Parts: sequence; C-alpha cells; structure tokens
Amino acid sequence: MTAPLDVSGTELQAAPEAVVEGAGGAKAIQGRSLGQIAWMRLKRDKVAMAGAIFVIFLILVAIFAPVITGLLGHPPNEFHQDMINPETMGPKASWGGINKDFLFGVEPVNGRDLFSRVVYGARISLLIAFFATMLSVVIGTVLGVVAGYFGGWTDMIISRAMDVFLAFPLLVFAIALAGVIPDKAFGLEGDTLRIVLLVFIIGFFSWPYIGRIIRGQTLSLREREFVDAARSLGARGPYILFREILPNLVAPILIYSTLLIPTNVLFEAALSFLGVGIRPPTATWGGMLSDAVHFYTVPHFMFFPGMAIFLTVLAFNLFGDGLRDALDPRSSR
Amino acid sequence: MTRRSLVVATLSGALLLGVAACGGGSTSTSPSGGSTGEAAAPAAADAFNAGIGKVFNPSDKKGGVIKFAISDDFDSVDPADTYYGFAWDFLRVYGRSLVTYKPAPGQEGNQVVPDLAESLGQASDDNKTWTYKLRTGVKFEDGTPVKSADVKYAVLRSLDKKTFPNGPTYFNDWLDLPKDFVSVYKTPDVKTDSAIETPDDQTIVFHLKKGYAGFDNFAALPGTIPVPQAKDTGVKYREHVVATGPYMFKSAEAGKGYSLVRNPNWDQATDQIRKALPDGYEIEAKANADDLDNRLISGDVQVDLAGTGVQPAALSRVLGDPALKARSDNPTAARTWYWSIIGDVKPLDNLDCRKAIQFAADKVALQTAYNGPFAGGDIATSLMPPSIAGHQDFNLYPAGADNHGDVAKAKEALTACGQPNGFAINAAYRADRPKEKQAGEALQQALARVGIKLTLKGYPAGDYFALYAGKPSFNKENNIGLAANGWGADWNDGFGFLSQIVDSRTIREAGNYNMSVKDPAVDALIDKAMTTADATARNGVWAEVDKKVMEDSYVLPAVWAKALTVRGKGLTNVFVNDAYGLYDYLALGVQ
Amino acid sequence: MVTYLIRRLIGAVVMLAVVSMVTFSIFFVVPRWAGATPVDMATRYVGRTASAEMAQVAAQRLGFLDPVIVQYGRWVKAIFVGADYDYGAGVEHCSAPCFGYSFLSRLPVWPDMLDRLPVTASLAIGAAVIWLIAGVATGVLSALKRGSFFDRAAMSVALAGVSLPIFFTGLVSLVVFSYGNPFRVTAPGSTYTPFEQNPATWAYNLLLPWITLAFLYAAGYARLTRAGMLETMGEDYIRTARAKGLPERSVVVRHGLRAALTPIITIFGLDFGLLLGGAVLTESTFSLPGIGKYAIDAIIANDLPKVMGVTMLAAFFVVFASLIVDLLYAVVDPRVRLS
Repeated sequence: MTAPLDVSGTELQAAPEAVVEGAGGAKAIQGRSLGQIAWMRLKRDKVAMAGAIFVIFLILVAIFAPVITGLLGHPPNEFHQDMINPETMGPKASWGGINKDFLFGVEPVNGRDLFSRVVYGARISLLIAFFATMLSVVIGTVLGVVAGYFGGWTDMIISRAMDVFLAFPLLVFAIALAGVIPDKAFGLEGDTLRIVLLVFIIGFFSWPYIGRIIRGQTLSLREREFVDAARSLGARGPYILFREILPNLVAPILIYSTLLIPTNVLFEAALSFLGVGIRPPTATWGGMLSDAVHFYTVPHFMFFPGMAIFLTVLAFNLFGDGLRDALDPRSSR
Repeated sequence: MTRRSLVVATLSGALLLGVAACGGGSTSTSPSGGSTGEAAAPAAADAFNAGIGKVFNPSDKKGGVIKFAISDDFDSVDPADTYYGFAWDFLRVYGRSLVTYKPAPGQEGNQVVPDLAESLGQASDDNKTWTYKLRTGVKFEDGTPVKSADVKYAVLRSLDKKTFPNGPTYFNDWLDLPKDFVSVYKTPDVKTDSAIETPDDQTIVFHLKKGYAGFDNFAALPGTIPVPQAKDTGVKYREHVVATGPYMFKSAEAGKGYSLVRNPNWDQATDQIRKALPDGYEIEAKANADDLDNRLISGDVQVDLAGTGVQPAALSRVLGDPALKARSDNPTAARTWYWSIIGDVKPLDNLDCRKAIQFAADKVALQTAYNGPFAGGDIATSLMPPSIAGHQDFNLYPAGADNHGDVAKAKEALTACGQPNGFAINAAYRADRPKEKQAGEALQQALARVGIKLTLKGYPAGDYFALYAGKPSFNKENNIGLAANGWGADWNDGFGFLSQIVDSRTIREAGNYNMSVKDPAVDALIDKAMTTADATARNGVWAEVDKKVMEDSYVLPAVWAKALTVRGKGLTNVFVNDAYGLYDYLALGVQ
Repeated sequence: MVTYLIRRLIGAVVMLAVVSMVTFSIFFVVPRWAGATPVDMATRYVGRTASAEMAQVAAQRLGFLDPVIVQYGRWVKAIFVGADYDYGAGVEHCSAPCFGYSFLSRLPVWPDMLDRLPVTASLAIGAAVIWLIAGVATGVLSALKRGSFFDRAAMSVALAGVSLPIFFTGLVSLVVFSYGNPFRVTAPGSTYTPFEQNPATWAYNLLLPWITLAFLYAAGYARLTRAGMLETMGEDYIRTARAKGLPERSVVVRHGLRAALTPIITIFGLDFGLLLGGAVLTESTFSLPGIGKYAIDAIIANDLPKVMGVTMLAAFFVVFASLIVDLLYAVVDPRVRLS
C-alpha cells in the first residue's frame, strides 16, 4: 500500500471506533486499514448484510437463469395456451394458475411461465443497471476530478454542463431519445442495441449527480495538508491526482455507485413500463407491469414483477446504506 | 323478477317473433310524432345480445341527457375531417348528410335512406351524373335555410387535405374537378361546375370522372353535411360546427369534452329518421380506459363512444357475472385483423412458402392474442368479414382439427417451396398495440414449429404506414415478411372494404395500407366489380376478389373483429347498427 | 445582489438555449440518420389516405424542406415575435410566446400547455404539502428519538418507500381503492376536475395520486431530514446553545431544525420544479391530463412542436426553481451571502 493512503489511514484511526474494534478482537491492538475497519463494521450491520446476500443471490439468479428455469420452469417465451381461458384470456385455474409446474402462475393471453419471466427479467434489469452505473461513475469521476482539481475555466464549463444536464426533464428526454432511435443502428440490432442504448441513456444522464459529489470532494481534498505536503516535496499534477486524490475518492465512489444502482433499476423499469425499453418478447419487469395494467383482475401478474423490482431496489439500498455507514465514519446512524 | 318486467319480457319476445316473421324488419324505425308511445318506458329485461338484431328497451320518452365517454378522442368533430366509424355514427345527431344509413337494428342498418335529400340519388349518363333534391324547410342552427350551395361548399372544402388531412378522399378521387382548382380557400374564384352544379337552391348535381353505381355511399359520407361558407373558419370550424341536426354544440374542447343541446331550429317535420329523444349529450374525452369500463358498469357513464368494447380486465368481470353479461352485447364489426404476407421478401416470393405460413399459424392462439372470441372476434378464414354484403364462407387453409395449425401440411408446403428446414424473416407490428404484440408472439411460437424463425419488430403506430411497414422499400431492406394490419369497411360492401387494401395499382412509395397484395388478376376483378351494375352480381365479383387474394396467400387473416360492449344503465332504444358495428347513437334515449 | 441576479439570469437563458438545441437536433437529426427524408417525416402527419403529392405539400407546409438550422431559427423567432399560420380559411397570427402548432391536431401548443398546467400544478402542490409535512415531521421525530421503536419503524417504512416504483404503488392503489371495489369508497384517482369548478371534487379526485406521489417523496425526505437533524444536533453550536441554558424546544426548533432544513429546501425546490415540468409516471399511471401525460403522448405521436414546447417548459421550471432556491438560501441560512 502506498504511503499517502497510510497517511489518511492514520488520520482515520484517530476515530475511537477503530481502537474499540481492535480491542474487541482477541488479538493485540494493531493498525488497521480503512478497508478492514469498514469490513468489520459492515459485518456487524445485519440489515446491510441481508441486503448484500440478497444482491448476491440476485446476481446468481441472473447468471444462472437458464439453469434455474430449466429445473423449475419453462422457457420464458414458450406459450401455454392450454392454461388460458380463451374467453377471458385469464388463467384457467384460480390463483393465477400457480402450481408446482408454474411457481408464479402464468401470464394472461399466452400462458407464459411468469416465474421464468421474472427470473429472466433480473438479467436485463441488473445488466442495464450495472453498466449504466459504471458509465455514469466513469464519466462523473473523470469530469468531477478534472473540474475540482483544475478549477478555473475547466471547472466553470464542466459545472455548467452539469447544470444543463440537471435542468433537462430527464425522463421526457430519455423517452424521446429511446423512441427515435431506429431499429438498427451503430452496427447493432435487436436486444443488444436496446440494451446498449438504455445503458447509454441512463448512464449518460445520471453522471452529473456523481460528478457533483466528486467535484466537491476533490475541491476539499486539493486543499488538504497531505496534498500540500506532496506538492512541496515536488510531486507533479498526475502524481497528485492519481496517487493522492483518487485513492481518497474510492470510498465516496463506492458508496454512491451502490446507491446509484437501485435508482437505475427503477429508471430502466420506468422506461420499460412506458414502452420504450427492451422490445418484446424479451421479459423485463417494467414491461410485465405495463402489460399487467390491463389485467388487474389477475393480481398475481402485477404482484411478482412489482415485488421483484421492490426487493431488488430495497436490497441495494440496504446494502448501500450499510456501506456508507461503514466507510464514512462521520455519518451517524 | 317483478311482474312489470315480466310483461315487458313477453312484449319483447313478441317483438322478436315479429322480427323473425318479416325477415329482419323492425317496428321501431317509424318516425315518432312524440305522442304515439303511450307506454311509460319500464325497464326491459336484460339479456346477452339483447341489442343485436332487435331494439332493446324501445321507448319514445323524451328528455334526459346521455353521458358518453371515450378513452381517446375524436380525430375532429368537423365533418370534413374525420375518419372514425364512431364519429360518422355520432355526427348524425348534429349534422345531416344528403343520405345516410337507416337507424335500424342489424342488416337493415346498411340500407341507405334519404336524409337532407328528399330521395336517394338519381343517376344518369352511365352513373357519371348524380342528382339530389334537398328537402325544403331544413335550417341551420341560426335559422338560415340550408341551400344546395351549402352542400356544394361543404364537399369542396372537404377536398382540402392540407387543412383537413383526416377525412376520406373518395370525392378527391372521383369528382371531375377542373385542373386549376386547389382548394376553396386558395382558389375561391375557380369555377367548379364541372364537378358539382347547383341549378337551384334545392338541387345539387355531382359529376364523376367515371361511372359508379354505388354513389349513394359517397353521398352518405359526412362530407356532404352542409357548411355555411360565412361561418367556415377552416381548421377552427371544429370549435363550433354549425348544426343542421336536432342537436348543436354548446361546447367543444378537443381532448377534454363536448356538450350538445337541442337545436331550436331543427324541425321534426323535415326529418323522417330522427326521434331526437334526449335533451342533449355530454361527451368526456381522454378518460382512463379501465376506469371508463367500471363507470359504464356502475352507470356513471352510459356509452363508450368508441364502441371498441371493454378492456381485458372488465372482460373477465362481465363474462364471469351473469347479471353483467346480460347487460352486454357482442356485435360484429366490419373489420378484419390480419397479417400481410409480403411477397417482395425472399423466400415469400414463392407461393408455397406463403402457404406454409397459413398452415403453420395457430389460429386459436391468434384469436386469444386479439382478445378471444368475445372481445377479439371469430377466427377468420378470409379477408372480407361476414358483415360485408356478398361475403362467402370458405377456408383454403384448414388449420388442423383443433385450429391450432396443420404442421404436416405446412412442412409439405415448405418442401414444395424448397425450404424444407424453414427460413428466417422479420415481422412488423405496432409497438403500442398490445393485441398486435401478443399476436406477433403467438405467430413466432407457432411458426417456430416448422422452422420458420420470426423476429418481431415493433414500430410506433403513428409512423407505421408512413415510415415502416407501409413502405415497400423499407420492408425489402429490413426483411419484413409479415406485417400486422387491420382494416375496417368505410361502408359494408366489397368496394367499401376491399378497394383500399387489395388493389396493387394504389401502392405508393410510402403510406400504403395494401402492403402485400400484388396480383393483376385481382386488379382485373376489381375493375370488373366497379362496372357491374347489378348489386348481387357485383357482390359476387367482390367475393371472387376475396377468394383470389386468399389463393395468392398474400394475407393471413386472424379474426373478424367483434367487441364486447356494455349497455349503459337507463338507456332506451339500444341496438347495434350494422353500418357502423356500433350502437346507433341517433336512436338512443334515456328512461 | 443585482449583479448576481443578472449573472444567474443570463446563465438560465443560456441553459434553456442549450436544452432547446439538443432537443431540436434529436428530433431532426436522428431520424435523418435513420434514413428518413423530409417528405417521409411529413407523411406521418397527413392522415390515412395520403398520396405522395400530399406528403410533399405537407413537408413544405411544415417547413421540413429547409435546413435544420433554418427550421430551428424559425422556431426561436416565433417564441419571441410570434408567427403567422395558415389556418385554411385565412392566416392567423400566433402571438409571442408562440411554440408553434401541433403537427397533428393543428392547435397552437402554448395555450394547450397552459391548459394542462393546472392539472400538474394541482398534483404537485397537493402532494408537496403532504410529503413536506409527513416527511419532515417523521424525520425530526426519528432523529430526536433515535434508536426508538418509532425511529426504526419509520425508517423501515421510509426505506421501503424509496424502493417502490410509483407505477407499481399507483397501480396497486388504483386496483385496491378505485377499480376493485364497486362502491368506490375512496377517490377514483383517474379523473381531473378543475379546482374552480368544484374544490371538493377536485381534492377528492386527486387524493389517490397525491398520496401515492407524496409517499414516495415523504420517504426520501424523512431520511434526509433525519440525517440532517442528527448531523446538526451533533454540532458545536448546538452544544453551546444547550450549555447556555436554552430550553430544549428552542434548541431543536430555532437552531437544529433551521440548519437541517437548508439542504431540504434546495432539494425541495429542485424536486418541485421537476414535478411542475410533468410528473410523467404519476400522470400516466393515473391518466391525469397534465404536462407529463402531454409529453408522453406528444413523444409517442412524434408531434415535434409539442415535444419542444413541453421540454422547454419543464426545463424552465427546473432552471428557475434552482434560481429561487439559491435566493432563498440567503434568507434561511445566515452564513450564505450573495456576492
């Protein structure tokens, strides 16, 4: 580990918890890095850990969707017309057709396995949320650091740009953009194009939120003693940026990206709900909800995708909250 | 059941017998002098389809306001600028065209009867010249008498598609207009007597480029509803359409609502078809569709103006509850939902490959996708729906015993076409239409059974015909072999239904409704139908057109549309008029 | 102060200009990439049985044949000086601010938007009152009784609240309270009655959307207020205030709450501005004919003048909300001086 980080590490160790925690362990008191302290705190936060476990579970579900549906369900786009009452288009059996073959029942009209569709929906939802978050974190961090570190005109332009982005009626704009993009563009088509497009739209419009935070942090870090010290020792721009400032931004970046993921899950669901997301028949939670609007008399149809969105967002929020408490000793709980 | 309604039940039973006896006739269409009906108007017994082929709850009681609601809106209430069936049905309460469809239940509604004119059109010069005599004593809502010049002006203004883009173009296509005429606004001084003459205030004469025996159907278009030139404000005329019918606008706010009150200058003596029972109409636009159904059921709203039937959620409620089902009707619309099979795209240029799609399609799944037998329609085996005069039932591509498709036959056809393992094409549909999305998914599943791989492409409904599936070059470039389509008749004969969708000579660069039918033999048959004077023979030719299109396999018919509609509480004189496939709005009254 | 104001105003105008340029190019440049010609683009606005010739006429009428930059210039000019529009039966002057005429309904956009504004404003104001009261009160109480059962329960509900998409809660509340029961014991939630027509019906019809929308925001505000309160109550000056013997109530309200509320005001200003520009999801879930629904309908129909108008209106609200928030800062937070 590099020296500058140790500097900040020692600074943090002044916080009483670090000592108490050390005392809690049987081993002798020794210096702990920021990461170790955070991990200790996080482990004690049962709610956050529950969130984390659910998130891991979700990721596994998304990755192994074909295996899971192979064992417990049917292919997500397969019709089961025999499960449907043709007159009302609703499931023939009561309780939405829930039984051991169809764990969540069947979709009205075509009798598709709701369980499989919810499972596959996790893929789209997480994929887009993760990549969109990565995109906005990268843009936000780079521009935030540049603005905060260089100041002056650079800061002025980037800050104005952030203001413009924040002034955009985001959802309206995203819908407009998702609506006018043709079916085949940039050498891509079908689901791939839509996913890339959504990642781009969501990521591109959320960067200013993270950018502002990073800019603020950089501004204050720039004036800190250890940066001054490095500078007086002859360190130059890039060194200070990458070795002194960036490592100190890891914590806020980690916290805000964890908290941005659930927002992006909601964003993707909203776009799919409004019909500008992924195209059918690919299953998405938002898209299923928007289909369920017309079938509110079969409540299981809206319940499962709705709960899937809710639990996913909740889990990320719980984990994100815990992470913030663990990483940021000043935050109070 | 109370004794009172029992009596009524027998009464309507008797009526039903009467209907059967005189072969579709009805006793309810005689004009009422206001005092003939002495009965107090008790509630009639509810029964499923009680408003089809007969009048439900007949009454002559005047008064009350009928509450309409619609989840969308009129395209325009200006007669020159509307192409919705419900609008054509409704605007008869405030406007009088030269002739119109008889307000009568069932087939009888297809009959054209004189309205503003004294009689149907007098044809001469090989059906190229049509003369109508206007009734005397008809006035606009401000008391000015209606003259033939007002009808002429109305028709001429409706030709201006720049100002009125929504309306039909029959007059543009058929009237013998002078070359230098652009529009009544741009070229007001150009003489238009070569197209329409008004020798006196009560006479109007139309001159066509070529003869057409069915011109009365043109004269029934809303475009012939008179418009006083002095009151015409172009686009803004829809804010206050000047009434000739028994009701006039009190307010008209597009996107919000409309309210109509009695027109003091309408005279029952000049009108043989209207009873003008209610005191007015209230129309609420842009209502929430699901909420609208619930309000219709609870009685808060009496008529769903669009008449396209209840939403899926209400459907299960209505079908599941016998009391509610008894309050509903299941009318057939003159509309077919189908998929165009586009021969421009390989390998669909091969007839056998097109046939493979016909055989492989799961007709039941398609029907369910279009919302099932009640709200969707009957499984269609040809393009022309049964409510069109001259329709003949035939099925060239039996889809197996259970209608789930004939996989063996489909594979045979694929082998015959040289693609035994199937092929891959794209299918276009309107992204904001759930039924078409569902139908696309159903086709995708069904065709996969024989190796035909379908990729679904949703396009915005607003641009569907202009930029996507209605544009042949787009289909070719994007390998669109199947495209969701649907068509409703402008009026119920072969011409009114087929002429816009199977004539290959109408195919343009973009904006086509005919996406696939390209067969000179079909075109020749259409020409033959146009020149056949005898109606029965003519209908026979249109049936041949239908059969030829199916032989060519350019169209995969899905359903002949039906709708499950709820009769509003407290309405009288409820019946479905076949001309519109909707409740006849002219006849409705309130208890 | 005056120079600050002027600077901010200029900034706001520049921002609106940038927003308009970006939106305009999305609708004109992107379809061209996709290979649409001006006539193609016009075809969608000419009705069911359009001929190529009519599409050409429409393209000309809508000005699609001119370069994009000229079209943009015309659009900007109309806002400031108005424009003339051929109404069929004569030319009508559309006075400034003229946002053009809908391509489809051919009605002027500006009065149309003004018409929708009361719906969105009613929704936003009603919901804001509820969420501010509920959110801030919950947050303060939670902070003061930190760790109590109330605190835990309130924060759990709040966390659930921020994790629920509004189109799901809205749908569920519609089904449970409006559609589902035949008696409509609660508000219908899918119609709008103007306030001036009948205030009671107005409130009754909006109750469901208000509560649904407010729940989402109240949850966020409770969390924010709680965090803010905890932070300020730990500050030195609070300790000082306590030390000099001020009554606890006065410490909490005059010192703690005041400082904790400052960030809430910023966020509230921005949230409220954003909402006024169209509560897209709420309005589409509840079918309320507000700005947001207008925007969605316009986008789906590709009705460019409407989309432009609504984007500008929404951006206007956000920009001016942030301006007002900054000015308010000076009043609430004594540490801020505008220079």
